[in-house]
Amino acid sequence: MSKTIRIHQGLRHLTGDQPTVDVNGTTVGECLKEIVSRFPAMESKLFDKKGKLLNYIEIYVNAKTSYPEELAMPVKDGDELTIILMIAGG
Amino acid sequence: MLTDEELERYDRQIIQPQIGIKGQEKIKQARVLIAGAGGLGSPAAFYLSAAGVGTIGIVDHDVVELSNLNRQILHWDRDVGKAKAISATEKLKELNHGITVKTIKETITEATVSQILTDFDMVIDAMDNLPTRYLLNKAALEKNIPFFHGAVYGFEGRAMTIIPGETACLRCVYRGVLPEKKFPVLGTTPAVIGCIQATEAIKYMVGAGELLKNRLLIYDGLSMSFSELEVTRDPHCEHCGEQKGD
Repeated sequence: MSKTIRIHQGLRHLTGDQPTVDVNGTTVGECLKEIVSRFPAMESKLFDKKGKLLNYIEIYVNAKTSYPEELAMPVKDGDELTIILMIAGG
Repeated sequence: MLTDEELERYDRQIIQPQIGIKGQEKIKQARVLIAGAGGLGSPAAFYLSAAGVGTIGIVDHDVVELSNLNRQILHWDRDVGKAKAISATEKLKELNHGITVKTIKETITEATVSQILTDFDMVIDAMDNLPTRYLLNKAALEKNIPFFHGAVYGFEGRAMTIIPGETACLRCVYRGVLPEKKFPVLGTTPAVIGCIQATEAIKYMVGAGELLKNRLLIYDGLSMSFSELEVTRDPHCEHCGEQKGD
């Protein structure tokens, strides 16, 4: 059993239109690293040049925010991670 | 006190037990600021006016452009080049002559936001950028008035209701800023979200149902589904946390 990452609509073109991707990491950071290794174009959409999560990206685990732990937050099998891009249009 | 005309006009609302005559009177007494007369502000303003909200303020400093018309239904062909606040006021007064519409043709800045919110009981966040949304969020918290947030991008929309001292605020949820660029949007997306914001505001006025407290509602028009994320107050939030301003 693995963890599932729900991909935001705005990033799905980078995952071959897959709405979800299964990964095996044990932290949010490891899960995101795995997704980047499979879909390298995701890297610049999620991280800055120092490897920090961009400040307009939020990661939710089982519909709850991972902030402030974010990348360090532990995850377990069956968890669902959701990548949220900030939106502000009106 | 409702007039005979109002009793007839709002009859379909009043017959709902959650509203009744007392609720309709509360709607009439309400003073709502709609911040932004654009894609979100248009449906919110139309439905709040139609519902009989006694005082509606429309704040917007922009003028109507042709590219606004796919979604900003307060503005029509003839309004291109006109101030949005004025165009919006004209439509709302035509829709409902019994309400007061305040036209505020101003830019919301740190210097003006507090004054703009004066004399309003609640705010509909219908802006198109995060910095101004943050200013409104902070000012609404300071004035202890509810803030009905909505935002859209493409086929996606989000809504959340912020009650000062009780729920997470916008700054608890979003900490960064977005790079400024033109955002894509289908007109029906802000139509859905603006109507949700108006529904929340009316529910708040009359005390009906459950508000979107600590719940970020996400509408996905492509999969035609709604989902929710649970949001929590950040004790270190710079707008509503215990150490704000530190």
